[in-house]
Amino acid sequence: MPLIELTEVAKRYRVGEQEIAALDGVNLSIEAGEYAAIIGPSGSGKSTLMHLLGCLDTPTSGRMMIDGVDASRASGNQLSELRNRKIGFVFQSFNLLPKFNVLQNVELPMIYAGLRAAERRQRALAAIERVGLSNRVKNTPLQLSGGQMQRVAIARALVNDPRIIFADEPTGNLDSTTGESILALFHELNVQGRTIVLVTHDKDIAARTPRRIEMRDGKIVAGNL
Amino acid sequence: MKLWFSLLMGLKEIGAHKFRSMLTMLGIILGVASLLACFALSEGMARGLRESMTQFGGIERVDILSQDPPEEQIGFADISPGSTVADAEIIQRRASLVTCVSPESNLKNAALTRGAQTFRATVDGCWPDFVAIKKHEIAAGRGITQLDLDEARHVCLIGQSVAKNLWPGNKPETAVGQSMLINGRPFTVVGVYAFYERSSDKTRREQGLERPSAGRKDGLPGGRKSSNPYKGWDMFSIKNLAVQIPITTMFYDFKSANVINNVDTGPNYKLDKLTFQISDVSRFQEAIEQTRGLLENTHRGIEDFTYYTREDSIESMEHSIKSIRVILGLIAGICLVVGGIGIANIMLASITERIREIGVRRAIGAKARDIFFQVIVESSVIGVCGGLLGLAAAFGLLGVIAKLTESEYTPVVALSGVLISFGFAVVIGVISGFYPALKASRLDPIEALRYG
Repeated sequence: MPLIELTEVAKRYRVGEQEIAALDGVNLSIEAGEYAAIIGPSGSGKSTLMHLLGCLDTPTSGRMMIDGVDASRASGNQLSELRNRKIGFVFQSFNLLPKFNVLQNVELPMIYAGLRAAERRQRALAAIERVGLSNRVKNTPLQLSGGQMQRVAIARALVNDPRIIFADEPTGNLDSTTGESILALFHELNVQGRTIVLVTHDKDIAARTPRRIEMRDGKIVAGNL
Repeated sequence: MKLWFSLLMGLKEIGAHKFRSMLTMLGIILGVASLLACFALSEGMARGLRESMTQFGGIERVDILSQDPPEEQIGFADISPGSTVADAEIIQRRASLVTCVSPESNLKNAALTRGAQTFRATVDGCWPDFVAIKKHEIAAGRGITQLDLDEARHVCLIGQSVAKNLWPGNKPETAVGQSMLINGRPFTVVGVYAFYERSSDKTRREQGLERPSAGRKDGLPGGRKSSNPYKGWDMFSIKNLAVQIPITTMFYDFKSANVINNVDTGPNYKLDKLTFQISDVSRFQEAIEQTRGLLENTHRGIEDFTYYTREDSIESMEHSIKSIRVILGLIAGICLVVGGIGIANIMLASITERIREIGVRRAIGAKARDIFFQVIVESSVIGVCGGLLGLAAAFGLLGVIAKLTESEYTPVVALSGVLISFGFAVVIGVISGFYPALKASRLDPIEALRYG
């Protein structure tokens, strides 16, 4: 069974009198251990797809299975739990909490998972070490460079040991060298067996991933197996 | 565990905006301080009033006063002998619900003299029970006895202020056995009453803190030392100025002649007052009816007497205490509500500032209720901190009030007042966080992430 399976998924928004289909009959399956990029011009529906896959939203129609759970019919609380336990997010603008230090930022998902303090700390430190920032544990995000902040964000995404990591333009706010190292980190994680889905409009980045899912006008036009 | 974390979050948030949080808290601080101050002031007042009431004889004391008979009895009202000692005697013999009874015949503005010292006060002629009914305490010597009464002896019982005024410089207790003149007739002091004062004054005195208005200490109303001549007219000063003699002596010495315009209208053995004490307050009305029946006999059916009970005045006193409390509490409550609105306002501003943070929290797995709870905890922390600071402020404020105004009644801080004001602050904190929390928890995670 694929890790992610979308069947005839549609997402429609109502803007005034008009109904706009951001996604229109999407069929997609992603297997565990894949490294895929969703590409497409702006307005193609890739962000909407990403939000659905990331359980931030539910489809208007169709079926969406995430790791054997029917996310298309999940309640708000169930979606929160899916996001917490099965999904890790990496954002373009890092989205770290500025008042917390690195350790506290990485611990945050585990607080919502209800882990005990000792375990939280141990796992957070391991994740921070994994992204190579052990010497920055007590720094706040504002004292870090962009690349370091994105590494913290990746550590935060990893810390609850999710089945899949979604990265929305993870290198968009970084210079090319730093972006390169972040991509290398994703590649490394994928080699270790982590499922990773990138959303990007950068053809060069997409070219490195084994699978490219190309979108246009709310439909997948290429890359579906 | 999440609660603990939310608490830390709230404290962190407050710490990050110290000035803003202080301003927000100020509303709660002032509200709590004024609420507790109101409680303490009204409690102090209530205690003071109740204390005076008890000094006066409490609810169990009943006075019977003379009054004009009703219209329809005027024509034959003369068949009634009026209030006489016979009334007291029949109540003493027959009224089973009455424990103590004493008739009273007053000599107003009598001149009290010893040597060169003289001043004027009211002298009461009474029975031995008078001491018990009026809640007097004898500090030295003895009370008036039945023998004093039977033989109409020239003995008197005096209050401490009387002793101080007639024997200046001496301890009041030394007056026992000495002689003094009442309207020129010699009397032997057989007893001196204890010194009566408000319990708050007593503590002050025992702590060695003399009140600046020492004029009232001598007990003389309108004493030269006191700036406010009326300040001494409370139950305590009045009791300290008491002079009691046997009622028989009063009749023989001062009431056997009543000279009006050089014509002696004969003796006046009428009572000014008849006072008794009820044994069981729960059978109050029964006791009143019992005595009324007896007095209707002695007065031959003429209703020329009336009852004066403390019940009415206690009731109206309790009523005014209650309304003062309600009014003060209401004002302070409004203060607190305004403070709560301040919290709600700041919380709304604060979540607008943190929409993106809320989006991030939702994205990494926070449930709507986690966000709700976090905001509620933050506003509650403001409420709790404001409440605690408010209590501290209240104690300071009460200290200043007690020093500055030198009010009649020292404020009393009761535990219930502290708990109520603090609890109110916490409740306001929680309630004012409710709407902002609801708003924050209902944010769409996707839109929140895009915000800003």
